[in-house]
Amino acid sequence: MEFGTLSIQQLLSGYQKKDFKPSEVAASFLKNISDKNEKLNAFLQVRPDETLSQARALDEKMSQVEKLPLFGIPIAIKDNFLVRGWQATAGSKVLSGYLSPYTATSVERLQSMGAVIVGKVNCDEFAMGSSNENSAFGPVRNPWALDRVPGGSSGGSSAAVAAGLATVSLGTDTGGSIRQPASLCGLVGLKPSYGRVSRYGIVSYASSLDQVGPFSRTVWDSARVLEVMAGHDGMDATSAKRAVPRFTEELKAPSKKSFTLGVSRSWLEGVDSDVAKAFDVAIEFFKKMGGKVVEIDLPHTQYALSTYYLIAPSEASSNLARYDGVHYGYRTQSAKTSEELYSKSRGEGIGREVKLRIMLGTYALSAGYYDAFYLKANQVRRKIQEDFEKAFTQCDFVVSPTSPSTAFKLGEKTDDPLKMYLSDIFTLPVNLAGLPGLSVPCGLDSNNLPIGFQMIGKPFGESELFSAAHQYEQIRGEFPVADMAKGRG
Amino acid sequence: MLSREEVLKIAKLARLTLTEDEIGFYQKQLTRVLDHIQDLNQVPTEKEAFVQHVPHDAEPFREDVAVPFTNHDGLMKNAPAVENNCFLLPAIMEQN
Amino acid sequence: MSLEKYEAVIGLEVHAQLMTASKMFCRCPNQYGSSPNTNVCPVCTGQPGALPVINKKAMELGVRAAIALNCEIHSESVFARKNYFYPDLPKGYQISQYEKPFCTQGHVVVQLKTGEEKRIGITRIHFEEDAGKSNHEAYGTLVNLNRAGVPLCEIVSEPDMRTAHEAGQYLRALHSILRYADICDGNMEEGNFRCDANISVRPVGTEKFGTKVELKNINSFKFVEKAIEYEVQRQVFAIENGEKIIQQTRSWNSAKNVTEVMREKEQAHDYRYFPEPDLPKLVFSSSWLDKIKKEMPELPQQTSARFKAAFDLSDYDASVLTSSKELAKYFESVVSHSKNGKASANWVMNELLGRLNAASKEIDSSPVSSTQLAELIAKIDSGEISGKIAKTVFEEMFATSKDASSIIKDKGFVQISDPAALENVIRKVIESNPSQLADYKAGKVKLLGFFVGQAMKETKGQANPALLNELVKKFLDS
Repeated sequence: MEFGTLSIQQLLSGYQKKDFKPSEVAASFLKNISDKNEKLNAFLQVRPDETLSQARALDEKMSQVEKLPLFGIPIAIKDNFLVRGWQATAGSKVLSGYLSPYTATSVERLQSMGAVIVGKVNCDEFAMGSSNENSAFGPVRNPWALDRVPGGSSGGSSAAVAAGLATVSLGTDTGGSIRQPASLCGLVGLKPSYGRVSRYGIVSYASSLDQVGPFSRTVWDSARVLEVMAGHDGMDATSAKRAVPRFTEELKAPSKKSFTLGVSRSWLEGVDSDVAKAFDVAIEFFKKMGGKVVEIDLPHTQYALSTYYLIAPSEASSNLARYDGVHYGYRTQSAKTSEELYSKSRGEGIGREVKLRIMLGTYALSAGYYDAFYLKANQVRRKIQEDFEKAFTQCDFVVSPTSPSTAFKLGEKTDDPLKMYLSDIFTLPVNLAGLPGLSVPCGLDSNNLPIGFQMIGKPFGESELFSAAHQYEQIRGEFPVADMAKGRG
Repeated sequence: MLSREEVLKIAKLARLTLTEDEIGFYQKQLTRVLDHIQDLNQVPTEKEAFVQHVPHDAEPFREDVAVPFTNHDGLMKNAPAVENNCFLLPAIMEQN
Repeated sequence: MSLEKYEAVIGLEVHAQLMTASKMFCRCPNQYGSSPNTNVCPVCTGQPGALPVINKKAMELGVRAAIALNCEIHSESVFARKNYFYPDLPKGYQISQYEKPFCTQGHVVVQLKTGEEKRIGITRIHFEEDAGKSNHEAYGTLVNLNRAGVPLCEIVSEPDMRTAHEAGQYLRALHSILRYADICDGNMEEGNFRCDANISVRPVGTEKFGTKVELKNINSFKFVEKAIEYEVQRQVFAIENGEKIIQQTRSWNSAKNVTEVMREKEQAHDYRYFPEPDLPKLVFSSSWLDKIKKEMPELPQQTSARFKAAFDLSDYDASVLTSSKELAKYFESVVSHSKNGKASANWVMNELLGRLNAASKEIDSSPVSSTQLAELIAKIDSGEISGKIAKTVFEEMFATSKDASSIIKDKGFVQISDPAALENVIRKVIESNPSQLADYKAGKVKLLGFFVGQAMKETKGQANPALLNELVKKFLDS
């Protein structure tokens, strides 16, 4: 039986009915991974014995399906998560061979609720990138078209689920790194509100922007993963204490059935025509549900790119200072002075895009520039946040296409960092404002490449996001699956 | 355009050894990004209005209770060089 | 060299480790002396993905220090990252406080040997985490991160001190206050109370500050004044020779008794401070601050004032007895058991402290416990032994830690207050000294002392002096 394209709901139902067992499902996924990964380069590490052993342990507990909300669900984890016993490279040479001494809280929670890890997946180095072409371990390819990018930085997480190599996966989103690859691979991708999910155990990129989130085929699956892993963590001083709603319970009986969507037409300029068309089609579905559209003004989103590319690199330049080859990680063999020990280890071990951002951030924080750069960017960030606050007095969600284009070809934007940064024009402001953002597939372009619809919710408004998106899914109907995910090879 | 000296100064502060090619590349790309970022000067802002990104209901404190970590081996296993259970650096490190 | 033409301008920076059970940002035990890298975790070793969470008790102790040092406490302050590269700094940055420390503008009043008092200002106190330790061997550098993450308060004084003595007194006062308030253990040898000095000189009467030199590695009270004095002289000598003072970091070499240039830690001192994004603003509610104020342990000045009033002690005596919390506690215990404040003060100061110093012992390891000393005093007061005998008993108590009662019993030191027994001795003495008796009867009344002395000798000093005196006179006159 083929399990690759089943949702969590479908797998749980099958387990309940005893149609199959976790070890069967795990074995099937492991076989698919071994057959297909070479084409995709999504997986960096698999441990079949470990995976099967976890799955077999669950075989003995079939009576617990009701009690374990992720019972026997195969999950792939982005390689910037620490999971004890597994590697954590964050897509970088400096962490090649690094074995995690502890497990990230978010992953621990999923594991304790029955999830089975099938592997660690590829990503842009230190989560910096929009195409997964910045990995030290080679690029990831989009299952919809192998000469195209899956998006980034969580390209491996996205490709794995899109190709049927995991039921759900975890990624991180700092400027769009879950939503944009979800959009390019035809999946549901969620960036929860900042503080909703613990960041303990995630290789830090930009501390004030990073969030953990799931990739899945359906909104329900996304809600299930979030309700298991969200919630306060005593190991993360930025995690929120508020209770986590039973999101999947709430989906059973929606309290609201029609929604007001906020659209800022000026923000949406410059989008590919197929993407613009699919966006409008999605809007029509919401109108059919009884919703309406209002024009809103987000006057400061035009500054989101500059704001982000000052704040994120600044925090990153500090967060990445620990990669110095002293206590772990890559150490150069050719240093002749103590300074060279640091700078050659880092110079040789860290990739080009990451070094660019480290230098940008170092400059922005340096003596004489702090006020003009880092401080200024944080002041503008507050204005971006206020724009959304104002918009939410007029609408339930702010919506946009997730990405201005569909999956581009490998190598198309690698020579021009600034061009690459523009892929995130719609996703960046959401991280800057700390809001929850959900991408749902809404169409295919003329090349049969997926297009995503982004819904931005109020702070900690995941319940409403799930509800609206779930209802949209029902009206939209089933979204196609990449050919590669069907059957073998 | 950022000068070569400025790029080298930043690289030194960030402890990054750059090849000749890299210096040229970073000069160009850093300049491009920094030029783009100038648009922030168009936005009037107030000094104290710094964003508060941490949720109001976050808990920054913990009780003063010692809970020893139980996987010290795991921490040392990733070290490039160890001696007497200390991290070992080559003898080139200057005395301080 | 004309030292008197110059005055020194000295500021001290003290790093005090806070007495908490766990580290500042992680749950590792806050303890000294574990074997290398066994008192660590992902957070304090800077592993990828680790995050800081603030130790509430550390905050409380910092606030106590601020109250004890008369500082203005800010209800909002900010943790900031101080970025630099060094082997014992695993994250490549130290979490500290920069533009917005939690308190500023305090002061402490110190006693100088001239008897005067001087007020030394405190610019600020802020929280930070300690770094690990690196040891340089011939074959390489060894890094131990056990100490990384231990909570610290950095206390920065105004450059108000003008002599090495003032600096020494400030340091002692600070040390005493922090120990009294159970904030810091104050053990310089273990490194939990560390001091750096900023020293410059200028001609007396001028306002402009000279170039300052930072002096590090002053790791014992003995060296503080010596090191500062040396450095002041070095600078004056250099200036008189037409040299410029170079701004640099020097360290005290206790073997050679000189200060020497150290290497700088980071060539470019650009720490790129920015607010710590993994932590929210530090907010102290006024109710929490009030609670801490209410629960403040007694401070040395308060104890001293209390002793002076209760036991009618001089300023000097009170300051000696409150020079450490342990000593004050010991003294109070002696008083509560002996019920004699003045005598307790005398015995502690004049008999006990000297012996302890000579034996290089602290009050905590005194061979004579407070209750034992109190017992001795009680025996003097009751007349069981004389003051003179008590000194001998005390010497024995100090040497053996035995109780006064057992020593008195063993050595038969009980004061003789029985008139009958004394009368026998007196008769004997009078009979043995007929010529002195004759002289006495003839009018040499001063010979009373002679007879008393002889009788006392006969009793091996155990005679009750007052009674003996009375009886001898009675016999002589009869």
